[in-house]
Amino acid sequence: MDRETELTLVGRLRQGEADAFDEVYAAFSKPLFTFLIRLSRQRDVAEDLHEETWLRLVKHAGRLQADTRLGPWLFTVARNLHVSYRRARALEDSAAASLTGLWPFSVRETSPFEETAANELERRIERALANLPAASREVLLLVGVSGLDQSAVADICGLTPSALRQRLHRARELLAHALECDAVHPSVLEGVPSCPTR
Amino acid sequence: MSDPLIRRLGELPAAEPDRTRSEHIRTRCHARLARHRHRRLFSGTPPSGEGMAPVWQSLIAVLAFVYLTQAIRFALALYGLT
Repeated sequence: MDRETELTLVGRLRQGEADAFDEVYAAFSKPLFTFLIRLSRQRDVAEDLHEETWLRLVKHAGRLQADTRLGPWLFTVARNLHVSYRRARALEDSAAASLTGLWPFSVRETSPFEETAANELERRIERALANLPAASREVLLLVGVSGLDQSAVADICGLTPSALRQRLHRARELLAHALECDAVHPSVLEGVPSCPTR
Repeated sequence: MSDPLIRRLGELPAAEPDRTRSEHIRTRCHARLARHRHRRLFSGTPPSGEGMAPVWQSLIAVLAFVYLTQAIRFALALYGLT
Protein backbone atom coordinates (compact mmCIF):
# COMPACT_ATOMS: atom_id res chain seq x y z
CA MET A 1 0.00 0.00 0.00
CA ASP A 2 1.53 3.32 -1.04
CA ARG A 3 1.65 6.25 1.38
CA GLU A 4 -0.91 8.33 -0.50
CA THR A 5 -3.49 5.53 -0.42
CA GLU A 6 -2.73 4.97 3.24
CA LEU A 7 -3.28 8.63 4.11
CA THR A 8 -6.57 8.65 2.20
CA LEU A 9 -7.69 5.54 4.03
CA VAL A 10 -6.79 7.09 7.39
CA GLY A 11 -8.89 10.13 6.49
CA ARG A 12 -11.84 7.96 5.51
CA LEU A 13 -11.48 5.84 8.64
CA ARG A 14 -11.59 9.01 10.72
CA GLN A 15 -14.92 9.73 9.09
CA GLY A 16 -16.10 6.24 10.04
CA GLU A 17 -16.38 4.86 6.50
CA ALA A 18 -17.03 1.12 6.50
CA ASP A 19 -15.56 0.73 3.00
CA ALA A 20 -12.28 2.19 4.20
CA PHE A 21 -12.27 -0.32 7.04
CA ASP A 22 -12.76 -3.15 4.57
CA GLU A 23 -9.81 -1.96 2.48
CA VAL A 24 -7.57 -1.73 5.52
CA TYR A 25 -8.79 -5.13 6.69
CA ALA A 26 -8.06 -6.68 3.30
CA ALA A 27 -4.55 -5.23 3.30
CA PHE A 28 -3.48 -6.04 6.85
CA SER A 29 -5.61 -8.90 8.12
CA LYS A 30 -3.39 -11.67 6.76
CA PRO A 31 0.02 -10.34 7.84
CA LEU A 32 -1.39 -9.36 11.23
CA PHE A 33 -2.91 -12.78 11.80
CA THR A 34 0.26 -14.52 10.61
CA PHE A 35 2.25 -12.44 13.09
CA LEU A 36 -0.13 -13.22 15.95
CA ILE A 37 -0.41 -16.94 15.30
CA ARG A 38 3.36 -17.35 15.12
CA LEU A 39 3.83 -15.21 18.19
CA SER A 40 1.20 -16.95 20.30
CA ARG A 41 1.55 -20.41 18.68
CA GLN A 42 -2.14 -20.99 19.34
CA ARG A 43 -4.80 -20.45 16.73
CA ASP A 44 -7.62 -19.64 19.15
CA VAL A 45 -5.48 -17.07 20.99
CA ALA A 46 -4.38 -15.53 17.70
CA GLU A 47 -8.01 -15.31 16.54
CA ASP A 48 -9.04 -13.51 19.74
CA LEU A 49 -6.13 -11.07 19.66
CA HIS A 50 -6.70 -10.44 15.97
CA GLU A 51 -10.33 -9.55 16.57
CA GLU A 52 -9.46 -7.31 19.50
CA THR A 53 -6.85 -5.47 17.38
CA TRP A 54 -9.46 -4.57 14.77
CA LEU A 55 -11.96 -3.53 17.40
CA ARG A 56 -9.32 -1.19 18.84
CA LEU A 57 -8.77 0.33 15.42
CA VAL A 58 -12.47 1.04 15.08
CA LYS A 59 -12.67 2.38 18.62
CA HIS A 60 -9.84 4.85 17.95
CA ALA A 61 -10.68 5.54 14.30
CA GLY A 62 -12.10 8.99 14.98
CA ARG A 63 -9.02 10.02 16.93
CA LEU A 64 -6.35 8.72 14.54
CA GLN A 65 -3.70 11.26 13.58
CA ALA A 66 -4.00 12.28 9.93
CA ASP A 67 -0.48 10.94 9.22
CA THR A 68 -0.91 7.60 11.04
CA ARG A 69 0.96 4.68 9.52
CA LEU A 70 -1.60 1.93 9.67
CA GLY A 71 0.77 -1.05 9.53
CA PRO A 72 2.90 -0.03 12.51
CA TRP A 73 -0.24 1.14 14.38
CA LEU A 74 -1.93 -2.23 13.97
CA PHE A 75 1.18 -4.26 14.75
CA THR A 76 1.83 -2.15 17.87
CA VAL A 77 -1.68 -2.83 19.16
CA ALA A 78 -1.42 -6.54 18.30
CA ARG A 79 1.95 -6.82 19.97
CA ASN A 80 0.78 -5.02 23.12
CA LEU A 81 -2.30 -7.21 23.32
CA HIS A 82 -0.09 -10.26 23.10
CA VAL A 83 2.20 -8.91 25.85
CA SER A 84 -0.85 -8.39 28.10
CA TYR A 85 -2.11 -11.85 27.26
CA ARG A 86 1.28 -13.37 28.11
CA ARG A 87 1.39 -11.54 31.44
CA ALA A 88 -2.05 -12.82 32.35
CA ARG A 89 -1.05 -16.32 31.27
CA ALA A 90 2.19 -16.16 33.26
CA LEU A 91 0.18 -15.55 36.42
CA GLU A 92 -2.07 -18.51 35.66
CA ASP A 93 0.89 -20.69 34.70
CA SER A 94 2.82 -19.91 37.85
CA ALA A 95 -0.20 -20.99 39.86
CA ALA A 96 -0.52 -24.18 37.82
CA ALA A 97 3.22 -24.93 37.69
CA SER A 98 3.29 -26.63 41.04
CA LEU A 99 0.64 -29.08 39.86
CA THR A 100 1.98 -29.76 36.36
CA GLY A 101 5.46 -30.28 37.81
CA LEU A 102 4.13 -33.45 39.38
CA TRP A 103 3.13 -34.81 35.96
CA PRO A 104 5.51 -37.61 34.87
CA PHE A 105 6.15 -36.29 31.33
CA SER A 106 5.95 -32.95 29.55
CA VAL A 107 3.52 -32.30 26.71
CA ARG A 108 5.37 -31.12 23.60
CA GLU A 109 3.61 -28.16 22.00
CA THR A 110 3.46 -28.24 18.22
CA SER A 111 2.83 -24.99 16.41
CA PRO A 112 0.04 -24.94 13.80
CA PHE A 113 2.58 -23.94 11.17
CA GLU A 114 4.85 -26.80 12.01
CA GLU A 115 2.00 -29.21 11.36
CA THR A 116 1.21 -27.78 7.94
CA ALA A 117 4.67 -26.75 6.73
CA ALA A 118 5.16 -27.83 3.15
CA ASN A 119 8.65 -29.24 3.48
CA GLU A 120 11.20 -30.40 6.01
CA LEU A 121 13.18 -27.14 6.00
CA GLU A 122 10.06 -25.08 6.65
CA ARG A 123 9.08 -27.45 9.41
CA ARG A 124 12.47 -27.03 11.05
CA ILE A 125 12.37 -23.26 10.76
CA GLU A 126 8.87 -23.19 12.22
CA ARG A 127 9.98 -25.47 15.05
CA ALA A 128 13.07 -23.38 15.78
CA LEU A 129 11.05 -20.16 15.61
CA ALA A 130 8.37 -21.53 17.92
CA ASN A 131 10.98 -22.49 20.51
CA LEU A 132 12.66 -19.08 20.67
CA PRO A 133 11.98 -16.73 23.59
CA ALA A 134 8.98 -14.50 22.83
CA ALA A 135 11.06 -11.29 22.61
CA SER A 136 13.37 -12.84 20.01
CA ARG A 137 10.52 -14.39 18.06
CA GLU A 138 8.70 -11.07 18.03
CA VAL A 139 11.52 -9.09 16.37
CA LEU A 140 12.23 -11.83 13.85
CA LEU A 141 8.56 -12.01 12.90
CA LEU A 142 8.19 -8.26 12.57
CA VAL A 143 11.35 -7.79 10.51
CA GLY A 144 11.47 -11.07 8.60
CA VAL A 145 7.87 -12.13 8.16
CA SER A 146 5.84 -8.93 8.34
CA GLY A 147 8.40 -7.04 6.27
CA LEU A 148 8.28 -3.84 8.32
CA ASP A 149 11.29 -1.58 8.26
CA GLN A 150 13.55 -1.59 11.30
CA SER A 151 12.64 1.91 12.49
CA ALA A 152 8.94 0.93 12.54
CA VAL A 153 9.77 -2.31 14.38
CA ALA A 154 11.80 -0.35 16.95
CA ASP A 155 8.75 1.88 17.55
CA ILE A 156 6.42 -1.10 17.79
CA CYS A 157 8.62 -2.83 20.38
CA GLY A 158 9.39 0.38 22.25
CA LEU A 159 13.12 0.05 21.58
CA THR A 160 15.81 2.40 20.35
CA PRO A 161 17.12 1.53 16.88
CA SER A 162 20.42 0.30 18.32
CA ALA A 163 18.65 -1.82 20.95
CA LEU A 164 16.54 -3.32 18.19
CA ARG A 165 19.62 -4.12 16.11
CA GLN A 166 21.15 -5.89 19.11
CA ARG A 167 17.99 -7.83 19.83
CA LEU A 168 17.61 -8.78 16.19
CA HIS A 169 21.23 -9.92 16.01
CA ARG A 170 20.79 -12.02 19.14
CA ALA A 171 17.49 -13.45 17.90
CA ARG A 172 19.04 -14.33 14.56
CA GLU A 173 21.90 -16.11 16.34
CA LEU A 174 19.48 -18.06 18.52
CA LEU A 175 17.43 -19.09 15.51
CA ALA A 176 20.47 -20.06 13.50
CA HIS A 177 21.88 -22.04 16.40
CA ALA A 178 18.58 -23.86 16.88
CA LEU A 179 18.53 -24.70 13.17
CA GLU A 180 22.14 -25.80 13.23
CA CYS A 181 21.31 -28.18 16.06
CA ASP A 182 18.37 -29.41 14.01
CA ALA A 183 20.63 -30.02 10.98
CA VAL A 184 19.42 -27.51 8.43
CA HIS A 185 20.92 -27.01 4.99
CA PRO A 186 24.12 -24.92 5.38
CA SER A 187 23.07 -22.33 2.76
CA VAL A 188 20.70 -20.64 5.21
CA LEU A 189 23.23 -20.67 8.03
CA GLU A 190 26.10 -18.50 6.83
CA GLY A 191 28.39 -17.54 9.70
CA VAL A 192 26.59 -19.52 12.39
CA PRO A 193 28.76 -21.18 15.04
CA SER A 194 28.47 -24.95 14.98
CA CYS A 195 26.30 -26.79 17.43
CA PRO A 196 28.43 -28.04 20.35
CA THR A 197 26.35 -31.03 21.32
CA ARG A 198 24.10 -33.29 19.36
CA MET B 1 17.34 -7.38 4.46
CA SER B 2 20.18 -9.29 2.80
CA ASP B 3 20.56 -11.90 5.53
CA PRO B 4 19.55 -15.25 3.95
CA LEU B 5 18.06 -16.53 7.18
CA ILE B 6 15.86 -13.47 7.69
CA ARG B 7 14.93 -13.61 3.99
CA ARG B 8 13.97 -17.25 4.43
CA LEU B 9 11.56 -16.22 7.20
CA GLY B 10 9.80 -13.94 4.74
CA GLU B 11 9.16 -16.91 2.49
CA LEU B 12 7.32 -18.90 5.15
CA PRO B 13 3.62 -19.46 4.42
CA ALA B 14 1.12 -16.88 5.65
CA ALA B 15 -1.91 -17.72 7.74
CA GLU B 16 -5.47 -16.60 7.28
CA PRO B 17 -8.08 -16.17 9.97
CA ASP B 18 -11.13 -18.36 9.76
CA ARG B 19 -13.56 -17.00 7.16
CA THR B 20 -16.55 -17.04 9.52
CA ARG B 21 -14.52 -15.30 12.18
CA SER B 22 -13.37 -12.69 9.65
CA GLU B 23 -16.96 -11.99 8.69
CA HIS B 24 -17.86 -11.69 12.36
CA ILE B 25 -15.04 -9.16 12.90
CA ARG B 26 -16.12 -7.10 9.91
CA THR B 27 -19.74 -7.08 11.04
CA ARG B 28 -18.82 -5.96 14.57
CA CYS B 29 -16.46 -3.28 13.29
CA HIS B 30 -18.99 -1.97 10.75
CA ALA B 31 -21.62 -1.76 13.47
CA ARG B 32 -19.29 0.21 15.73
CA LEU B 33 -18.29 2.57 12.95
CA ALA B 34 -21.95 3.15 12.13
CA ARG B 35 -22.67 3.91 15.78
CA HIS B 36 -19.82 6.42 15.95
CA ARG B 37 -20.96 8.09 12.74
CA HIS B 38 -24.55 8.21 13.89
CA ARG B 39 -23.57 9.75 17.21
CA ARG B 40 -21.43 12.39 15.53
CA LEU B 41 -23.97 13.30 12.87
CA PHE B 42 -27.14 13.50 14.93
CA SER B 43 -26.19 14.48 18.45
CA GLY B 44 -23.64 17.08 17.47
CA THR B 45 -21.76 16.25 20.65
CA PRO B 46 -18.26 14.86 20.83
CA PRO B 47 -17.78 11.12 21.61
CA SER B 48 -18.61 9.78 25.06
CA GLY B 49 -17.71 11.96 28.00
CA GLU B 50 -15.50 14.44 26.15
CA GLY B 51 -17.99 17.30 26.50
CA MET B 52 -18.28 16.77 30.24
CA ALA B 53 -14.61 17.42 31.00
CA PRO B 54 -14.75 21.27 30.87
CA VAL B 55 -17.87 21.29 33.11
CA TRP B 56 -16.14 19.20 35.77
CA GLN B 57 -12.98 21.23 35.57
CA SER B 58 -14.92 24.51 36.07
CA LEU B 59 -16.87 23.08 38.99
CA ILE B 60 -13.70 21.88 40.72
CA ALA B 61 -12.05 25.27 40.13
CA VAL B 62 -15.01 27.11 41.68
CA LEU B 63 -15.10 24.79 44.70
CA ALA B 64 -11.35 25.13 45.19
CA PHE B 65 -11.63 28.94 45.01
CA VAL B 66 -14.46 29.01 47.59
CA TYR B 67 -12.52 26.69 49.89
CA LEU B 68 -9.36 28.81 49.70
CA THR B 69 -11.30 32.04 50.31
CA GLN B 70 -12.93 30.53 53.38
CA ALA B 71 -9.59 29.22 54.66
CA ILE B 72 -7.99 32.66 54.31
CA ARG B 73 -10.95 34.36 55.98
CA PHE B 74 -10.78 31.88 58.84
CA ALA B 75 -7.02 32.44 59.27
CA LEU B 76 -7.43 36.23 59.26
CA ALA B 77 -10.27 36.00 61.81
CA LEU B 78 -8.14 33.76 63.99
CA TYR B 79 -5.44 36.41 64.23
CA GLY B 80 -7.99 39.21 64.64
CA LEU B 81 -7.11 40.87 61.39
CA THR B 82 -10.68 41.33 60.17
